[in-house]
Amino acid sequence: MYSQIRSGALYGINSEQVIVETDLSPGLPAFNVVGLPDTTVKESKERIRAAIINSGYKFPAKRITINLAPAGTKKEGTHFDLPIAIGIMSSIGLIKEELTKKFAFLGELSLDGSVNRINGVLPLVIGLRNQGIVKIILPQANAEEASAIDDILIYPASHLGDIVAHFDGDFAILAYKKKNKGQIVKIRDDMDFSDVAGQECVKRALQIAAAASHNVLLIGPPGAGKTMMAKRMPGILPAMTYEEKLEVTKIYSIAGELSDNHPMIMTRPFRSPHHTITGSALIGGGRSPKPGEVSLAHFGVLFLDELPEFNRYVLEMLRQPLEDERVTISRSLGTAAFPAKFMLLASMNPCPCGYYGDPTHECTCTHVQIRNYLSKISGPLMDRIDMHIEIMPVQYKELADMEGLNEELQKLLPVRNSKIMRQEVEAARQVQIERYKDEEISYNSQLTPGLIKKYCALNTEAKKLMEAAFNRLSLSARAHHKIIKMGRTIADMEGMEQIGAKHLAEAIRYRSLDKIYRGL
Amino acid sequence: MGLQYEQIKLKQIKKVHIYDNDYPEMLTYISNPPKVLYYTGDITLSSMPCIAIVGARKATSYGKWAAYGFAKKLSEYGIIVVSGMAYGIDTHAHKGSVESTGKTIAVLGCGIDICYPASNKDLREKIIKDGGLVLSEYEPGEPPLPFRFPMRNRIISGLSLGTIIVEAGINSGSLITAECAAEQGRNIYALPGNINSMYSLGTNKLIKDGATPLITFDDIIDELGIRRQPALSRQEIEIGKDEKSIYEYILRSGETTTDFICRSTCKLPSEVNAIVTILEMKGLVHTSMGKIFVAN
Repeated sequence: MYSQIRSGALYGINSEQVIVETDLSPGLPAFNVVGLPDTTVKESKERIRAAIINSGYKFPAKRITINLAPAGTKKEGTHFDLPIAIGIMSSIGLIKEELTKKFAFLGELSLDGSVNRINGVLPLVIGLRNQGIVKIILPQANAEEASAIDDILIYPASHLGDIVAHFDGDFAILAYKKKNKGQIVKIRDDMDFSDVAGQECVKRALQIAAAASHNVLLIGPPGAGKTMMAKRMPGILPAMTYEEKLEVTKIYSIAGELSDNHPMIMTRPFRSPHHTITGSALIGGGRSPKPGEVSLAHFGVLFLDELPEFNRYVLEMLRQPLEDERVTISRSLGTAAFPAKFMLLASMNPCPCGYYGDPTHECTCTHVQIRNYLSKISGPLMDRIDMHIEIMPVQYKELADMEGLNEELQKLLPVRNSKIMRQEVEAARQVQIERYKDEEISYNSQLTPGLIKKYCALNTEAKKLMEAAFNRLSLSARAHHKIIKMGRTIADMEGMEQIGAKHLAEAIRYRSLDKIYRGL
Repeated sequence: MGLQYEQIKLKQIKKVHIYDNDYPEMLTYISNPPKVLYYTGDITLSSMPCIAIVGARKATSYGKWAAYGFAKKLSEYGIIVVSGMAYGIDTHAHKGSVESTGKTIAVLGCGIDICYPASNKDLREKIIKDGGLVLSEYEPGEPPLPFRFPMRNRIISGLSLGTIIVEAGINSGSLITAECAAEQGRNIYALPGNINSMYSLGTNKLIKDGATPLITFDDIIDELGIRRQPALSRQEIEIGKDEKSIYEYILRSGETTTDFICRSTCKLPSEVNAIVTILEMKGLVHTSMGKIFVAN
């Protein structure tokens, strides 16, 4: 009266195979689960008992022992319900055990025996596939999500009874067919850069940022259009590759943010947490580690509006993920590493009242207040931000008046919509992917000093310009690499192989914050 | 007291009494001269022709640029620049003087051993090192308290032949300095500003009330009755055609943004940004808070 059923357990975004062993022995009726189950798994006993009985089967009045092997690692999640139930049923002979050998089972049971949706299906399925399993029975509601993996057969189950009938041969659960092979990527058309009047300079800067995932800080008085433009950022980000989509979907699967209508993350994520966010919500955490906003923004944008309003210690936590592109979280129930390769987009006012430098409003802050406000963003964090862009509110009438006067201008500066901007970004990103195909990186902002030497050779003219810039504009040494990386991106946007002086000159314009500090 | 004496010796703080020969003569003519001045540096500066440059702590780039420019111009003619070493205009006035090898006097509103604001420590050291003078009527160790600054202003204007108010809001403390200067019978010069700028309301009002407006840097030299020196042979800066067209537009508008330059010169933002950087490096323009100005 012994059986073995395969299932999986999640560790961070990775998963491992778990063998659910069931043993029925004579004795006082009891039901024990061993192998370091957490509360959700222990509770499953009650669900399983009710589900089996309510599906019309008999629950064995025996001493039941379930072992989740390997027994030394902690297991959590409700997806063990189904494999344990199947294990019990095959131990009492309701299901022939040899038929279940090729299958793995994942699913949560409802008291009436129906199979409910679970979190983290994608990483579990990927883990099981890597163990050589090709057939997986999982909840109907997770089928579309799991079908993102091509070389595996998904058998969607909606009720425990169906599974028993399937193995009896009374009823066949058919392998799931993907609804639509290539899902249409929906691009929101209510958020377009053509809504933003003027500000060509800022648009251009954001385009450069999107092309190589440079971190950006937007500084300007209220009403200048910082948030408006940041919200339009997703529309110009380059499309994700299949591998990227899969990796992002894995994270969302664990966080439980996927649904039937939205089984796969197709576009780059754009996360904008409120400034009251806590450290563990931003970085990830919890008793058993869950991904935070930085991981949910993986391959996408993390937008922090009103940066100095964030708790300072929360902001400091960003330093490590910005550097390592991953976060490792250790808690009592285990250690998990989540990827966090995101582009940081932040916005802030230049002072507490917001109007420092604004032409039409008086700033009411004292110097000390302004200094304190700016110093909320620490040097090391500032270090990791490549581009500082100052935004001034547009006197739209003035701009429009000038436009009317000049026809040549309208040809040159048509109102650029997100579609055109995205095409240019895609082209520049393609150049980078091509260039770095033999390296571990895929875009310019990831360049290390060693790689900068290899890929960002400067000609004499450019070198002279850099030298002059450092002396004349008293740029910091740390700005040096950032400017070269940005210069590389600007050259890529123009399709140029060599970084020219004009590319660097433009890049220097995007390093202005050092000057604000200096000017005070 | 013992400790204070030690400090005085240690920090080379000296003291000049109103009956001493070194006491600045100009100060003896005002109605309530300080009996004692504590100082570090070269006290003889205070008996040379001085001009005060004052203005708001919170200043615009225009104000800072002008303060720097006037200080530089005065220094070229050997005139001592007096200011209060506060943030903003004061700091830039001292810088303009120090950076063009001129001599400058900083009058403090606290004990002379205290550096207020602390961020001007480097500047203070530079002033003393370059043969300038830092002085105060307060005993070493006196903290900077709000009421001391208006008192200090009477010394700034009292030391000087005239006072230039660079930028002042309608309630600015610089207007107190202007008032002192008027009471002491010294000249008042003011820098005109745009009438929609909060930071120039005070100075514009001074002009309306009879202060002399300064519309070029040379005006102050003419006002002092000094013969203008032929302009120092300025190094000819080579600029290209595109740079020239953008530079000319910036010259015409005085203060502008990249968006406006794009529109008026029919160039893409990428080009304009690159050229602005190059112009800035050639020292022709100056950028701050998203705006572009003409530098001098």
